[in-house]
Amino acid sequence: MAHTRRLVPHGFLAPAIVLFGLFFALPIGYAAHLSLHSMQVKGLGLGRNAREEVWVGLDNYATALADPELLAGAGRVLRYGAMLVPTMLGLALLFALLLDLPRTRFRAFSRLAIFLPYAVPGIIASLLWGFLYLPSVSPGYFLLNAAGWSGPDLLHGDGLFLALTNISVWGGTGFNMIVIYTALRAVPPELYESARLDGCSEAQIAWRIKIPLIRPSLVLTFFFSTIATLQVFAEPMTLRPLTNSLTFTWSPYMKVYRDAFVQGGLHSAAATAVVIAAVTLLLSFSFLKLVNRRAAS
Amino acid sequence: MKRRTSWVPTLVLLLGAVYCLIPVLWVLMAATKSRSELFSTFTFLPGSGLWSNLAELTAYRDGVYWLWMLNSALYAGVGALLSAVVSAVSGYALAKFDFRGRGVIFTVILTGVLMPPITLAVPQYLLLAKVDLAGTYWSVLLPSILSPYGIYLARVYAAAAVPDEVLEAARMDGARELRLFTSIAWPMMLPGLVTIFLFQFVAIWNNFLLPYVMLADDGTFPVTVGLYSLLQQGASRPALYTLVITGALLSIIPLIALFLGLQRYWRVDLLSGVVKS
Amino acid sequence: MQRRTALAVIALAGSLALTGCDGGAPAATGPVELTMWSWASLQKVAEMWNADHPDIKVTVQEQGGGDELVTKVITAAKAGDGPDLVQAEYQMIPTLVSNDVLTDVAEFAGGAEDSFSESVWKQVTLGSPAVYAIPQDTAPLALFYREDLFTQFGLAVPKTWTEFAETARQLKQKDPNRALTTFSSNDAGLFAGLSQQAGATWWQTSGDTWKVGVDDESSRKVADFWGGLVKDGVIDNQPMYTPAWNKALNDGTQIAWVSAVWAPGTLTTSAPDTKGKWKMAPLPQWTAGAAKTGSWGGSATGITGKAAKDGKAQAAAKFATWLNTDPKAIAALVKEAGVYPAATAAQSSGALTTPEFFPNQPDFYALAADIAKGTAAAGWGPNVNVAYNTFKDAFGKAATEKSSFPAALRTVHETTVADMKKNGFKIEG
Repeated sequence: MAHTRRLVPHGFLAPAIVLFGLFFALPIGYAAHLSLHSMQVKGLGLGRNAREEVWVGLDNYATALADPELLAGAGRVLRYGAMLVPTMLGLALLFALLLDLPRTRFRAFSRLAIFLPYAVPGIIASLLWGFLYLPSVSPGYFLLNAAGWSGPDLLHGDGLFLALTNISVWGGTGFNMIVIYTALRAVPPELYESARLDGCSEAQIAWRIKIPLIRPSLVLTFFFSTIATLQVFAEPMTLRPLTNSLTFTWSPYMKVYRDAFVQGGLHSAAATAVVIAAVTLLLSFSFLKLVNRRAAS
Repeated sequence: MKRRTSWVPTLVLLLGAVYCLIPVLWVLMAATKSRSELFSTFTFLPGSGLWSNLAELTAYRDGVYWLWMLNSALYAGVGALLSAVVSAVSGYALAKFDFRGRGVIFTVILTGVLMPPITLAVPQYLLLAKVDLAGTYWSVLLPSILSPYGIYLARVYAAAAVPDEVLEAARMDGARELRLFTSIAWPMMLPGLVTIFLFQFVAIWNNFLLPYVMLADDGTFPVTVGLYSLLQQGASRPALYTLVITGALLSIIPLIALFLGLQRYWRVDLLSGVVKS
Repeated sequence: MQRRTALAVIALAGSLALTGCDGGAPAATGPVELTMWSWASLQKVAEMWNADHPDIKVTVQEQGGGDELVTKVITAAKAGDGPDLVQAEYQMIPTLVSNDVLTDVAEFAGGAEDSFSESVWKQVTLGSPAVYAIPQDTAPLALFYREDLFTQFGLAVPKTWTEFAETARQLKQKDPNRALTTFSSNDAGLFAGLSQQAGATWWQTSGDTWKVGVDDESSRKVADFWGGLVKDGVIDNQPMYTPAWNKALNDGTQIAWVSAVWAPGTLTTSAPDTKGKWKMAPLPQWTAGAAKTGSWGGSATGITGKAAKDGKAQAAAKFATWLNTDPKAIAALVKEAGVYPAATAAQSSGALTTPEFFPNQPDFYALAADIAKGTAAAGWGPNVNVAYNTFKDAFGKAATEKSSFPAALRTVHETTVADMKKNGFKIEG
């Protein structure tokens, strides 16, 4: 009896473990297998069985790491993340704190409106903003021109970072706002009522009491937002046809996609993907470790 | 006692709301425009083509757009439901049982969140094709069921919402483990599971890469991939912008309705990790 | 014991049935089911076939643009999955053959050769005895211009590229807000066609060695020409197929477009207000009085290795031949998909009625046939996808920065050659 009892949690976990094995572990193993192989052609490379899979060891990794576009892409994504994450979380925190104030009006409306973009798929969001970015069809530029100004060029150079950041800020602020807001609601009001009676301003209360109390949820939103940022894909892909300035290697994921799908280099793409996954894991675990250590001390 | 409104915070929030509504308002207006109005008239004024756009969208390839919507509902609905169930049992096991390897299993599953979808999608396709499942409804449904994030949430929620004493008491009474779960833990975890369901519903509904890689027959497309294919018609047929815009507008309505409808059950506090354990 | 024998008998019967199927008698189990991936709307044409041929049932699955279709079909083939028939642009055929997507159907479809011109047929055989696809449409380049605006600004239709540049300058002078056209980096097919006209062959083979000529003299001349126009600011540098481009065509901000005979279909949707205002003229020439042109796209119906594996190659070849040579099918193709048929007989047949969008040019297809006569032959290689994608990024950058186009071309060339070497192709030079 005790023996069967011990297997109970494993029974409950069985579906998750099987699914994990089939749809996470196996594909990753397969990707690792691909990354160590390559296709080589015989003769002209035409006709049946002109290509065969050969073992190439770490060659694909060497090529992937030597490609300056991978590093450049990582740099672009970091720059985009450095613009996006603080802006998005800053706004989310600001809105959440404002929602938590006692004398704010139209709260339900604002909360819902700001949350709404969460329901819009990234592809569609980028499509909508794309229209708004094109000077000749955008109502924003129409108004600016009518007022005698010329709008910024959002589809080239530095403007592009603004354009992409804006799409993600728009899509992500509401969700993070709700998360932070709910954390704020869970803070017992007694904790700051006395401060209020002592004449502290709302800003002081927010800064000295509320924010320190919700630190765990801020850390969590920061963590998940950063992960999502590193995985940016749909937005630049959708904007790409609208501009000359978004290369297919703009972000490391786009490069993986291009190599695997557009250029038929499944094997080298697998190597790049494995590198990216490893870096992501490493960064995530170091971050979590750091947070845990600071929380412990 | 009547309290004065603080206007500055209210105004800032309303500004935020306006910013978030602009593109939605734009698509609402743009969807009312006929093809020649779309780029020639000021975009924040309604046009005259809403009904003809709707009719055209419905007529496009015998109403394939509505099939896409149904498919999206199917993938997201069934996928999220299964996902919630799997998350529930796993989260419950991880929170309420002490066994060897618990930490390892949990960590390994969690790393799934960090796996870039693109690293997974291609090998998933190649493997599913080997068992003849690529291109079927299953190829999108099955990989969507396991949600590491959902399991994480379910664990947090089970730890908080299901008291150990209740379980122990029931065990004393000789209840079977499975029954313990279905009749005690499940109802207690239900509000959290609704959140996981909604979370996963949105994730699947908004997913693009997986169905894009898996599916070939546009009768099986979800609405994201369908709209994308409308946008990429190839060199000799440029994007059908009026259709895309009308389709985009319609595609966001169900999710908004779902959120409004289930607003009461939407326990986001779960996501902020503040449930006390 | 008794039971075991019975089982053995059943097993034997089963294996017999299997061998029977192998021998090509699937008719016993109902019609042969074929799936086809295409970006053109071919469903209606397939339905016509299905109505007349109960033994072979074709289902068309419409896909996104050409590039994505190639990508998808290659991935599918790697997994042993995918359609039985696939629509492919000519330049992608070597890539598809090299990736084992297409199969040789010479024994079933070799007879179709007579229906097509030699240069078109060569593109589906790759100069070998094999036949990988049946040509569907050709796409000779021409100049499309707004007749009304040319008159309004007193411009003459350019006959040479020198005149073309002159026309662009004149227009800029008369109205700085308009441009003759744009140089778009987002479809290398157009640039490839223009290079063909100038005499380039991007890929050639001799023996088992490839020769890549993306960066040859003729292509450099074309790159230099367009780069100069962009640098001088006399034409636009923004990509095609964007909402902004649609608007520019629709409201006359751009008044000409170097395109292929399928342009009327595109203009119908991108510039709906300009019906009857466009005209087609032969492509400007490098040498006055010449009549050469290149191609931008054009496609064929390929038969896949999967069809061959499943014993459906013959049925697939039969359908592909019908689709692209039967007068009734071609008439439907022209109507449904707006293609300019590759079959020579059809090019002068009544199937081609004046495009609805060009009522002012009743001799549209007579002129098209004239232009098509001067189509330069094209040579494609096994990694056109790599070359085309590099083109997008390299020329996109050059067009935005107004920097050297020949340097961008050099990048495309080098990346293409490096990719081929990496894959083990033998390359000359």
